[in-house]
Amino acid sequence: MTRLIPTEHELHAYVDERLEPARRAEVEAWLAANPEEAARIEAWRGDARRLRAALAGFGEQPSDPALDLAPLRRRLRQRRQWRLAQAAVLLLAVGLGGLGGWQAREATLFAGMLPMADAVEAHRLFADASTLDIQASDPARLQAWLGRHFNRVGQLPDLSGYGLQPVGARLLSNEAGPAALLVFQDRQGLRISLFLRSPGEHFERMPSGQRTDGQLQARYWSHGDYNFALVSAVDDARGEQVRRALGVSL
Amino acid sequence: MHDLDDQQWRELLQRLRRFALWLTREPGGADDLVQATVERALSRRGQQRNAESLRPWLFTILYRLFLDGKRRERLHARWLAWFGRGQAEEPAGGEIESIVLAQADLRAFARLSAEQRALLLLVSVEGLSYKEAADALGIPIGTVMSRLSRARAALRELTEGNPTPPALRRLK
Repeated sequence: MTRLIPTEHELHAYVDERLEPARRAEVEAWLAANPEEAARIEAWRGDARRLRAALAGFGEQPSDPALDLAPLRRRLRQRRQWRLAQAAVLLLAVGLGGLGGWQAREATLFAGMLPMADAVEAHRLFADASTLDIQASDPARLQAWLGRHFNRVGQLPDLSGYGLQPVGARLLSNEAGPAALLVFQDRQGLRISLFLRSPGEHFERMPSGQRTDGQLQARYWSHGDYNFALVSAVDDARGEQVRRALGVSL
Repeated sequence: MHDLDDQQWRELLQRLRRFALWLTREPGGADDLVQATVERALSRRGQQRNAESLRPWLFTILYRLFLDGKRRERLHARWLAWFGRGQAEEPAGGEIESIVLAQADLRAFARLSAEQRALLLLVSVEGLSYKEAADALGIPIGTVMSRLSRARAALRELTEGNPTPPALRRLK
């Protein structure tokens, strides 16, 4: 019969309706026979009920737009894209990195790889996204940021003559070190990106040139310690001039 | 959060805010806590959740963030004390204070410890299972039971044996 006497824990579980139906019935019967205990349990139950009643509606407030479902979902999507993009960059980095000891194989692999494919990819992924690390419409700020991450880089030219203002930048990386995408935009919202990276051993002797990739035009060159690429829309007539301006000052 | 509609989401936010308000007793802090909880939840979306387990999970995140904040505060207070500045009194925000003054049932509740408040909120008000409450508070289920027992006894005593004086002190 001792099983019939509920423990303190069981009494709480009874109040919270967490007992198995069979046990619940037993406890109920026991309480019916022990009015003092029953009163104690009923008082707990009453406290819980009053608490629930007193707190109903508590904490209500005009909805906070930042916490609305639609923008949250949008941000979730952005975050997913951003993760995918990171994964892509990582894959690219791993792909470019190759494996030690596979020199010959690597050579053929890299021979078949398009120059500055990562620049074009980075432009596709990030130039229009709101996932830039810094937003900088002030050229001096962008220059300072660039200098922090790339200590042997030259001066960013003023591109306002071409109608281009800085938008921001995003730090990336490959196996040889940091890489970055600097984004500029004209009054119509058309964006042009400058990509730079440490060459690593594979790209040390990357020749200058340009190529078209879908709707994008990549103009690339190497200077000092870095490989550069300017990525713009194919039909953007400023491409060549901007490329030259950049080549001179960077 | 994908399977919730706006109404359900708002209700969930309100529950989170209620929980946060009773932990922090300060509206600004509570809102920050809710915001941070949602942020954290978004960044941990790797663990896909259905609507049912979303709620206890969010409470878990919120409580962890609250504890982290407390820890930082204590550290901060210790630093201040080190440099000879007195410990700042824990502020009780206007919103909580006025509501508590208006509702006799909440006076006793407000005088429980934060741990006891948190547990009673999760179990009695939010209806979480003991297991979910244990996870949320980061304690074993046995501790949940004994803490529940103490919390209910304390609430009883405060409600019954110790009527609050009509002129109320500032709630600590």
